[in-house]
Amino acid sequence: MPIAPKPGSALLIVGHGSTENPDSSTPYFDHADEIRRRGLFHEVHCCFWKEEPSMREARFLIDAPEVYIVPDFISEGYFTQDVIPREFELDGPTTHRHGKTWHYTLPVGVHDSMTGLLLRRAREVAPEVDPAETTLFIVGHGTGLNQNSTKAVRDQAERIAQSGAGYARVLDAYMEEAPFIADWHEIAETPSVVVVPFFISDGLHSYQDIPVLLGIETEVGPAASQREVFRHNPHQLRGKTLYYSSAIGTERLMADVILDQIADFDRTHRP
Amino acid sequence: MIAQRLAQAIAAGIRQIGQISILPDASGSGYSLCHIEDLDHLDTLTVHHGPDPAREISTWAEDGHYRFTKGELSLRRGWLLKLADAAELRAALDLFYPASVGLWLAHEDGRIDVQTLRDKLNRQTGMYRFARNLSNEGAQRLVREVCGPGNCCVKKILWDIQEGVPLEPSETSRWPGYLDTGTPAIPLYCREACNHFVAEARKASKAEFEARSS
Repeated sequence: MPIAPKPGSALLIVGHGSTENPDSSTPYFDHADEIRRRGLFHEVHCCFWKEEPSMREARFLIDAPEVYIVPDFISEGYFTQDVIPREFELDGPTTHRHGKTWHYTLPVGVHDSMTGLLLRRAREVAPEVDPAETTLFIVGHGTGLNQNSTKAVRDQAERIAQSGAGYARVLDAYMEEAPFIADWHEIAETPSVVVVPFFISDGLHSYQDIPVLLGIETEVGPAASQREVFRHNPHQLRGKTLYYSSAIGTERLMADVILDQIADFDRTHRP
Repeated sequence: MIAQRLAQAIAAGIRQIGQISILPDASGSGYSLCHIEDLDHLDTLTVHHGPDPAREISTWAEDGHYRFTKGELSLRRGWLLKLADAAELRAALDLFYPASVGLWLAHEDGRIDVQTLRDKLNRQTGMYRFARNLSNEGAQRLVREVCGPGNCCVKKILWDIQEGVPLEPSETSRWPGYLDTGTPAIPLYCREACNHFVAEARKASKAEFEARSS
């Protein structure tokens, strides 16, 4: 859904970032560039948990009196419910602090429009497969620490399953909790399998850890931007044909999901 | 407006920030940036246009390591970045030294709020919660071991260890936040300990705990 220009507002995209892998923050800058090109906001900036600028420093980047903070995160959980509100000193959906008005949206990963993006990525990576003969895995991190962290992944898998896309099965799976993506070949009953990592960046998890869990790689490789040879689909593995996509957050249209979250915020909190 | 005030500061003589020289064009509207050690051979540098290349230039040090703290004194050389106007200049500087121009202006205006190390550590949760147990003595030692130009950080620390406990006098506590080249510079300010420091504080706190336990 298109949003009206907000010339008096700043957009602040919040990402995790990494002290080990600079690829981790590339998608956030890409999303910011894409939205900046559209000229909808007075200014567009990024800030991070693990990189600079930090969330606490971010307000010193901003001229505009009104700011939309969009967590470029997959799920609602520790970061979106604890860390980000704490770092920005937020006290609700809208907070007046430090001479500015701060609007805090839901994370991109829980938005309905994410479903179409995941489906599009699954089709792009394996255009030749017959969905009826294919299992689609949406893969998240998973952690025993927060039940919400798997909800976004499970919800999207269910929405795709109900979308009429025709896949034999659409399943959620995780790196660190059951159902484990490492068991993909045992879980999937079809000859073809498509795996889409539901992560923002091609960082440690999607380009290094999951390929090992899938069996594409035998050991954790270098960061994506340092690789000379990127993987080629499909992979004949464990008696099946496996297609593995890059992280969903690297999709250019993620910019639209960010804007959709802002439109939803306005509808809900600023009707 | 940050970009306008930056342009005014340069018009008034500012020419440096961190390891970067700021060169206003003769035309008066554009700017070029280069490493301060490349000033005497500008015609041999690789020319880039617009702010975006600043991210790539500032990501990797000469020896190939990832510069996740941008105040690190390891900016690589050999590049010249040409910027059309003050807005592009400001965007480039926010990639080289994130938020540093805004922090400097806030400091100039007296509206920068500084958080003590104790407050910073006390608000940590999750795996970093343990960092709050670091002693003041351990914190002073960590500042000497992690911060300041002796440890490759160009930023000036504004914070105290806690209310009433300033940093002990040292090269780090006296550091002004800019390299003394005789050129007017924008200082880089550290208004609260960075996440790298917090991660080190967690390790030091654990080491203190283990030393006490044994």
